[in-house]
Amino acid sequence: MWLRNRVGTLRSWMAIGLSLMLLGTAALVAYIYLGNALHGYAAESAILNDGARIAQSERTGIQACIACHGARGEGNRALGAPRIAGLAAGYIEKQLRDFARDPIKTGVTLDPIARDYSKTPRVQVDLTVYTPGVRRNAAMNAAAAALDNPEIHAVALYFSALPYQVEALPSDPETLERGEDLALRGKPEYGVPACTSCHGPNGRGFGDQFPPLVGQAPEYIIRQLNHWQTGARDNDTMALMRNVSDQLTDGDKINVAAYFANVAVSSQDAEK
Amino acid sequence: MHSPYLRTAAASVIALVCGAAQAAMLGGELDPLEVRPTLVQPQLSLPTKLTEVHVANPGEFFVPPNVADIPDDKYGDLVRMGRNIFVDTQNYAKRYVGNGLTCQSCHLQEGRKPYALPIWGAFGMYPMFRNKTRSVVTYEQRLQDCFRYSMNGIPPAIDAPEMQALVAYSHWLSRGAPVGVELPGRSLPGLSRSEDPSPQRGEVVYATRCAMCHGPQGLGQKVENGTRYLFPPLWGSDSFNKGAGIFRVRTAAQYIKANMPLGQGFTLSDQESLDVAAYIWIQDRPKDPRVSYILDFLLPRTGAP
Repeated sequence: MWLRNRVGTLRSWMAIGLSLMLLGTAALVAYIYLGNALHGYAAESAILNDGARIAQSERTGIQACIACHGARGEGNRALGAPRIAGLAAGYIEKQLRDFARDPIKTGVTLDPIARDYSKTPRVQVDLTVYTPGVRRNAAMNAAAAALDNPEIHAVALYFSALPYQVEALPSDPETLERGEDLALRGKPEYGVPACTSCHGPNGRGFGDQFPPLVGQAPEYIIRQLNHWQTGARDNDTMALMRNVSDQLTDGDKINVAAYFANVAVSSQDAEK
Repeated sequence: MHSPYLRTAAASVIALVCGAAQAAMLGGELDPLEVRPTLVQPQLSLPTKLTEVHVANPGEFFVPPNVADIPDDKYGDLVRMGRNIFVDTQNYAKRYVGNGLTCQSCHLQEGRKPYALPIWGAFGMYPMFRNKTRSVVTYEQRLQDCFRYSMNGIPPAIDAPEMQALVAYSHWLSRGAPVGVELPGRSLPGLSRSEDPSPQRGEVVYATRCAMCHGPQGLGQKVENGTRYLFPPLWGSDSFNKGAGIFRVRTAAQYIKANMPLGQGFTLSDQESLDVAAYIWIQDRPKDPRVSYILDFLLPRTGAP
């Protein structure tokens, strides 16, 4: 009887101890996770606040972002400023860096001594010959050059997180039909792939490399295609867009820009 | 006891061991300043117009009819269904597909692009003798092989509605094309003679020219919440199997040369195309359905070492 009681109390003490240990572990894990999440959230909101401040503040000789791109990044057709709300943060960041780059200083730098590639890891991601492109625009070159890298990061994050709502622009059915043909099928005999094969199934953009085509003013898309043709913009990876633009006629540009402008989009129905 | 032969033998053994040790020591330590040939061909032509690009001569290729001109009758309905299957095979012919590809993953731009296995170049050539089957096959039998190998699935029957729709789409797409004539732009372009393809060089080409879209692991990139591929997988379980025509290094190199990177056909050299095709070839992918499971298990595995 004594033994049984003794064993029973021992068991209960063990049970209590075990459950306390489990509770403690769970509390510790929860504390760490929650702390990390809260810290991340705080850091992110701090960056977003920074971005908002940079977007709204003007500097000597340089206007604020929102002066041309709109208070919510919705763009300004009359000024030719594109929508930047809801674009991928990586895309905005890359464009700002390319705007800021001095065209004189671009080029490929080669090591005076050839690197010993037998020592590099097998997947040689760093072997990409990086040719930083440039994008020429009087207003944006000055504006981007005034920002440092953390500021570019913050403002890119801020605008990518903004909601947007774009109305559809009407066009005549013939233009839309030709634009759809080009957007979905490209020009096979000229080697021009379909726009949607990279920019996403509905032209909503894909990743940091392929910006959305819907929800932009048609004049902006036509102007960018012209800039690729003339070389005023050459910051596309592997010269993908330059090769495509070279094969487009002026009519093609009008048709395809009208087709993508004919779609109403908002951040509500945006998909990854 | 100490015979001269034994002594010389022992000395040579010692010398051999020392030499091997020295060689191993030297092999481990490389002079960082030593100039060595690299695998990388620096491409200095990106910002300027120094790239040699194949001049498109659109007049030399057959131009298939416009999608807006599909007739509004029973034939047109079948053609539209065939086009849906061709463009979105994952939804319209799901039961026949065993991987993540669609018809236009290879037959680019809805089967219209010259030198990307265009449908209008193939349809008029059937029935045709094929080395693969050692027999004269009809167009339907050829489509079945597409599903069996490239789609890694179960082929539809000759009289399945999907098969009839695909044949109708091919028929409509090649309207006006001569029958039994090898049209320019049909199938794939030729390759000139080159060195043996090297997967080591191909890995570099892959990382610099292909990985941006097809992913660093070659597994493609998905879109629409991961429901379908925007950039198709080149290897892995969602790619074509080892019985597919494009599993051959030469065929893949021809395809890559004419069409890849997308919109930049004929910018890779023949050697680069072969190298990157060899790099894709050594990766793991579904087994050839003609090979039994036991034999497939016993055969040497493919895959990067």
